[in-house]
Amino acid sequence: MPLYELGVILDASLDDEQRSAFLGEIKELIAKEGATIVKEDVWGKRILAYLIKHKREGYYVFWQYEAPGTVVKPLEYRLRLSDQVLRFLNLNLDREMQRARKMAKVRAEQKAAKRAAKERAEVAAVVVAPRTGEEA
Amino acid sequence: MSKKKYFVKRKKTCKFTAEGIEYIDYKDIDLIRQYVPVSGKILPRRVSGTNPIYQRKLTRAIKRARLMALLPFLGD
Repeated sequence: MPLYELGVILDASLDDEQRSAFLGEIKELIAKEGATIVKEDVWGKRILAYLIKHKREGYYVFWQYEAPGTVVKPLEYRLRLSDQVLRFLNLNLDREMQRARKMAKVRAEQKAAKRAAKERAEVAAVVVAPRTGEEA
Repeated sequence: MSKKKYFVKRKKTCKFTAEGIEYIDYKDIDLIRQYVPVSGKILPRRVSGTNPIYQRKLTRAIKRARLMALLPFLGD
């Protein structure tokens, strides 16, 4: 199961009751089919960098969760329909890290190949050098 | 007449290569802010000295931060 990261900006004008009810609903949507929430990070109220839906403030919550891919679609669908959500961003962290690791591996291989080629060239030079010395 | 030195060239280094950061998190605003001046534009590589690999990652992180209203699309 891949690791996902979900960030949600909620309307800051909601009262605590509405907010906790909605957060509970999201968590329920995530925790399906053997999925687990790894990390919950509540930033709370924060001034937005620009207005969203004419609002200056948002309530930020981030989750990291491990879930099968089937969880994502209904979750995003629910978030998109909700009026309380100003913005959300769901990332597949595994995919992000995979890409980085893959490229790092390729680069390491290229570097190793280059070094090997250089060493071979040096060995060849050493082999050639004494012969020319003898002749002279 | 001696020539006056107006400009001392500073050595530019890539922070991400130096510290071995693998993934740039869009939530790490303090880090990302260093690469976004008040204008809100992404600092070019030629100015910041960032390695191309990390510049692309940084760009992605900055754009995500903008989406989540952590950074402005347009600065002051």
